[in-house]
Amino acid sequence: MKIEIRARGRRRAVEITPAPDGLTVLLDGEATPARLERVAGSECWRLIAGGVSIPVRLHEAGGVLHATVGASRVALDVRRALPVPSRRAAGAAGSGRVEVRAPMPGLVVAIPVAGGSDVSEGTAVAVIEAMKMQMEVPSPASGRVEEVRVAPGQEVAGGQVLVVVAASREAPDLEGTP
Amino acid sequence: MPPPRRLLIANRGEIAVRIIRACRDLGVSPVAVYAPIDAGAPHVRFADEALALPGDAPAESYLNGPRLVDLARRSGATAVHPGYGFLAENPAFAAMCADAGLAFVGPPSDVLERCGDKAAARGAAQAAGVPVLHGTHPVDDDGAGRAAAAVRFPLLIKAVGGGGGKGIHLVRTPEELPAALRLARGEAQAAFGDPRVYLERWLERPRHVEVQILADGRGQVIHLGERVCSVQRRHQKLIEEAPAPGISESLRARLVESAVRVARALGYRNAGTMEFLVEGDEFFFIEVNARIQVEHPVTEVVTGMDLVAAQLLIAGGEPLPVRQEDVAWTGCAIECRISAEDPHNGFLPSLGQIDAAVEPAGAGIRTDSGVWPGQTVSRHFDPLLSKVVAAGATREAAIARMRRALSEYAISGVDTTIPFHLWAIEQPAFVSGLYDVRFAEGWGHGPVTIEAERLAALAAAVWFHRRATTPSLPTDGASPRWTAEAREESLR
Repeated sequence: MKIEIRARGRRRAVEITPAPDGLTVLLDGEATPARLERVAGSECWRLIAGGVSIPVRLHEAGGVLHATVGASRVALDVRRALPVPSRRAAGAAGSGRVEVRAPMPGLVVAIPVAGGSDVSEGTAVAVIEAMKMQMEVPSPASGRVEEVRVAPGQEVAGGQVLVVVAASREAPDLEGTP
Repeated sequence: MPPPRRLLIANRGEIAVRIIRACRDLGVSPVAVYAPIDAGAPHVRFADEALALPGDAPAESYLNGPRLVDLARRSGATAVHPGYGFLAENPAFAAMCADAGLAFVGPPSDVLERCGDKAAARGAAQAAGVPVLHGTHPVDDDGAGRAAAAVRFPLLIKAVGGGGGKGIHLVRTPEELPAALRLARGEAQAAFGDPRVYLERWLERPRHVEVQILADGRGQVIHLGERVCSVQRRHQKLIEEAPAPGISESLRARLVESAVRVARALGYRNAGTMEFLVEGDEFFFIEVNARIQVEHPVTEVVTGMDLVAAQLLIAGGEPLPVRQEDVAWTGCAIECRISAEDPHNGFLPSLGQIDAAVEPAGAGIRTDSGVWPGQTVSRHFDPLLSKVVAAGATREAAIARMRRALSEYAISGVDTTIPFHLWAIEQPAFVSGLYDVRFAEGWGHGPVTIEAERLAALAAAVWFHRRATTPSLPTDGASPRWTAEAREESLR
């Protein structure tokens, strides 16, 4: 699974692959075996990674994941890396179709846009609920909504296309951007 | 008179549990009271009887003096322990108990009255030959220079009519005095309609040192040594320890002797604390805390005594359980207060529901807690949840155990002061023992280390993957699996 983590003004492309005893997380060019073991309730875990076990508190608020490690707290924006067409693939005209996908499996709560709506980069094009938490799915590019493929009340799978946006200018190249 | 047979505890949270434990040790039957929001709290379950209070607001619950006295009588209790906070230092409540024939576990009403009047308490200390922070009468511009020389610089100009920080000016040198006086008078006139000001000694970086006292009201007054409580925010303590590191034996001797002298001068009875500010080799009495204190366990750990049990014995009219020469101190103890506050956001209270908690234990660790799964942290009450006390033969050993205990402590559902404590005990100033009341300012909004950021990203990646691959989704109400898991966790 390819995801993107933004924290403290930095964007990281992270790749997660299953491993015999947990997962292998490729972060900052380094592959680390890692797993989470639950300690208490919904928020308290031990992160067992790279040969050490560390207490971590994870709680989500307003679509942001707050991780407390020791004395430090870090706010993280975690989402699936969207398979956005690269700049080159977007064509010479500098525009293209961008498929906005569900970052996780969940229930579509709202689609605040309709076919033909103008959107800016970051405009919410869908609201998805999972684990009693709602999160907005932003458009990764400015442009016009070309197609709405889901409706409120519908269950969607992680990665399922929700909305297609015709990007008016260059779509950002997310792959591997630090 | 023996200790009471049945005791009503007019408090909640960890201190109510603490008092119940002392009751059990002495064979006293504890009676709890509870606000509706505390119905599931441990003190309600551990007591022999638990009586409901009408509402959650303090005025209806733990500050509801007449109702508490009424419940005490109806439950067959012969004594009332107020804990700390709420009605603990309220002379009217102490009198109300006495009038109802109930032993109030604390100083009698008239002593509470004397201790509560800070100016009177300082006057009594001064009369007993104990140094207090030097302050002047109102000064005029001509006499201010001479008065300032007597107070010594740096000093504060304070408005006679003052309050809320208005009219207060810090003056470091004699040259600054005339201009500062003009400003302070102007502010005082504008804010309070009274231009009079006075001067008071200001300490740049004092340490907060206090002395635990036990007095039986029959002339016996002993001290149980000192505690340092210099790690504070908003003038509230976060970490306390005993004995005081970096204080000379002679200064310690003068402090404890002064504390006993102030207690005698006030006619003190029961357990109490004399608070001092210490700077260099000087110390100044500031006030009496006429109650059992939050930080009493550090003294219990280093003396091996049970202060709450001693309180019950004294309230029952018995003489002190030990003589001064029998008190011995062993090792070091450090206490961290665990509060439902967000240290990364100005220590604001963190309201919400605790869904589960795992508390630390093991060698040298004592956890006094009122935490329970399902607990609502509400705006009505102080956010203190529990206290972790680490003991060690040396201070280094106690700090190492505290680090381990804080890392074991898991509270899910609210923010707590645990991250702050993990930071504090690693700081060179804390490790050296030579920290002062401004120590906690160094925290700011909390540091973020590069390693912590990397670990946070790792944890976030695993967490996200786990969530994205969880097959069933709770969309209307929690799924049975989720609920079952949460229930299992909370029961562990």
